[in-house]
Order: sequence, then C-alpha cells, then structure tokens
Amino acid sequence: MAFVKNQKTRAYFKRFQVKFKRRRQGKTDYRARIRLINQDKNKYNTPKYRFVVRFTNKDITAQIISASIAGDLVLAAAYSHELPRYGLEVGLTNYAAAYCTGLLLARRVLKMLEMDEEYEGNAEATGEDFSVEPAETRRPFRALLDVGLVKTTTGNRVFGALKGALDGGLDIPHSDKRFAGFKKDEKQLNSEVHRNYIFGGHVAAYMRTLMEDEPEKYQSHFSEYIKKGIEADDMEALYKKVHAAIRADPTVVKSSKPAPKEHKRYNLKKLTYEERKARLIERLNAFNAAADEADSDA
Amino acid sequence: MPAGHGLRSRTRDLFARPFRKKGYIPLTTYLRTYKIGDYVDVKVNGAVHKGMPHKFYHGRTGRVWNVTKRAIGVEINKQVGNRIIRKRIHVRVEHVLPSRCTEDFKLRKKKNDQLKAEAKARGEVISTKRQPEGPKPGFMVEGATLETVTPIPYDVVNDLKGGY
Repeated sequence: MAFVKNQKTRAYFKRFQVKFKRRRQGKTDYRARIRLINQDKNKYNTPKYRFVVRFTNKDITAQIISASIAGDLVLAAAYSHELPRYGLEVGLTNYAAAYCTGLLLARRVLKMLEMDEEYEGNAEATGEDFSVEPAETRRPFRALLDVGLVKTTTGNRVFGALKGALDGGLDIPHSDKRFAGFKKDEKQLNSEVHRNYIFGGHVAAYMRTLMEDEPEKYQSHFSEYIKKGIEADDMEALYKKVHAAIRADPTVVKSSKPAPKEHKRYNLKKLTYEERKARLIERLNAFNAAADEADSDA
Repeated sequence: MPAGHGLRSRTRDLFARPFRKKGYIPLTTYLRTYKIGDYVDVKVNGAVHKGMPHKFYHGRTGRVWNVTKRAIGVEINKQVGNRIIRKRIHVRVEHVLPSRCTEDFKLRKKKNDQLKAEAKARGEVISTKRQPEGPKPGFMVEGATLETVTPIPYDVVNDLKGGY
C-alpha cells in the first residue's frame, strides 16, 4: 500500500469537539427540541407536552411526552402494531394508519385524564380542518407536534397522525397548509381529497389501477391484502369500523407474555485482559503451526 | 483612536465559551425552575446574546425577586462609592445557575429537624447548635528520643569557606 500522509493527526483529535450524543446518532434535532421544551419560567413546573410522531419501516409510534432533567416522561403511547386489535391488519404505515394511531393516542390520553366525555372531538372523519372548542369545566389537553427529522411536505403521514389526534379531541396548534389535499394555488384545503386519504382512498385507487393494468404486480404488491380478503371497495368501510372500535375502547392492553428472565445479548461481551492474552497465544500457535505446514509442503 | 468603554468592552475572554464547549447549550438550563427568594449565580453564556447582564455581574450571586417568561430578576449587591446598593437586574435563564451557597444550610436544617424530632420522641432536650472546633485533646508523645544540641564555638580556620 502506498504511503498516505496521515490527515487526522493527534492534534486534530485533541481539539475535536464531539456533538451531542443524540446528534451524532442523527436522532434529535436540538434546535427544534430547545424551542419545543422551553416553558415560561412564570409557569414554574407546569409540564409542556409534545405530541411525538415517529415512523419506522414497519411501525408508527405516537407518544405524549413531557421533558424533565432526569429524562423525558411518556404520558401515553400508541403504536400502529396495536391496530390489529381494532380490526386493521394490513397497511400499518400508511396515511390512514397514521390517522388511526393519532386517534388512538388522543382517545387514550383523554380517557386516562378522564376528559373523554367532555372532548369527543370529531366523530365523523371529514377532511375539514377541525379544532377543539374549550368546554365548560376543563380546558382541552394541549400538546405541541414534534415531527422529528422528517421533511414537512404537504401530505406527509405525520400530518395524518396530527389529524387523527385533532379529531380525537386534543388541542394541537396547527394550520391546514400541510394536510393532504391542500392546493398551494388556491391556498385552500380540499377536504374531499383529505377525507379520501384518511380512508385509504389513495391506496384503493392504486389497487384498482394495478388490478386492471398489471395483475401480477398487484398480486405481489398487495399480497397481504389479498390474503386477508380486502378489496379496493372495502377500504372505507374497514377504516370506519376501526375508528369506531378505537373510540369504543382505547385503553392499553398489557402484554401477557412474562418478561424473559435472561435478556438476549445483542453485542459481543468484552473479554478480560487474561482472556485477550490467552487468545493471542492461541492465534500465534495456530499461525506458527500453519507456517510450519507450509514450510514442510513447499 | 482609543479603545472605548462600551457595554461589552474587555469581555473577549470573559464571555468566551470554554474549550470544546461551543455550540448548542445543554437543555437542563432551560428545564430548571426558579422561585422568588432562591439564590442564583450569574454566569454569562456567550452563546446566547439576548438578556446578557453587564460584565460586572458575572460571577456574582443574588436572590431572585422576579420571574418572567424567559428571564429572572436578580437582586445583586454592588458597591458604588462609599455604599452598597442592591441592584435589580433581569437576566435570561441561560446566564443563571442555581447557587449552592445555601445548600449546606438546607442540609443542616433538614438534619436538625430530624434530630429534634427523634429527641422529642425520646423525651430528651438536645442542642443542635454548631460548636466551633475546640483545642485538640492532650496526648503522650510516643517514640521520642532525647538529643541534646549545644552550640559549638566559632572556628575561624574551618568555617570561612572559599578563602579569606
């Protein structure tokens, strides 16, 4: 290998300032976090809740979190992998599922705080912009949307979850500019289009076009839907049922699996000094033995 | 032309961030709550430009007299001429630390309350006053040998080193 001049000298490392751990991992946007968490000092210990929505490849996480010096506290959480309990088994990361997850979280929180009678929210999911009206006795539960590191384009699933939480009865400051169906030219939300997305209409439309044009791709792409027997026309009714089921019983179901006694180890255990020396001796012996064989052969 | 005496004059090093601590400031500064009557230390954070106190107050400790949305009112003593004035300034929370000057007092208060409660339960009277350290108790010196030292008469011949 050619001689390469060492770019990163010892001096470079001595002066290097690491970013915060979560920034190094690329998980937290501290600029946004500071602004979301900062509470007015003259409100002392009043918690400021964030409505956190995060998407993984196969799941949606929606949580209500308040910050503290020891660590953030989660008030309530809803995952899209709980949706099979309410009748939705496929498409757990689409816009409609995000709506359901947001709705589930909102109803769960309100039930936990015993405000669910007062704040029904929007039982009928039209796509229009809906904001909670303050009731007589208690003010609505306020949270701030925490998007994370997602690019907030119009029609993002994050705003689907936001819509679900709003219809569920939470008070989250928002504007309808980023809901699916907002036209920049007219500067107005087309609530029909938004309603279409909430009920999976966009998925149904794709199913229909695929069925006509490329049946094989339809079979491969929507195989889970076909297995469960869900057709393009069933989508709306299915989601309506899921919304009703969520409103009926949003309580948490604790998993009945007992916690495993021994946790599975995901990384290699660090060897002790003796173990490492013993390993080195073994490797040297093996190397010498192989070298001797090579010598005797050649 | 001369240097000038502006608000932040001569603060090049005072307001500079310490080595390898530049950039975003950790969030506990924003999460702390302050109540009126607390003691706080004023320590300027050069990364935040708003709500900075004057350089005189850097390193001073005072009591909180006001709490607003993003800042705290602190009452600090300043000597002006032949008297000390209680000055009231408003400082953003990024430039303020909770002071540990009363920590010892608070711990002692808690401990004393506990001791008094226990003593009351037992029915005896105790004094929780702090006593100053008294003189050390007397002790016998161990392993002492006696060495008598006498002065030797001055010897001109040997003692004048380096020639005379």
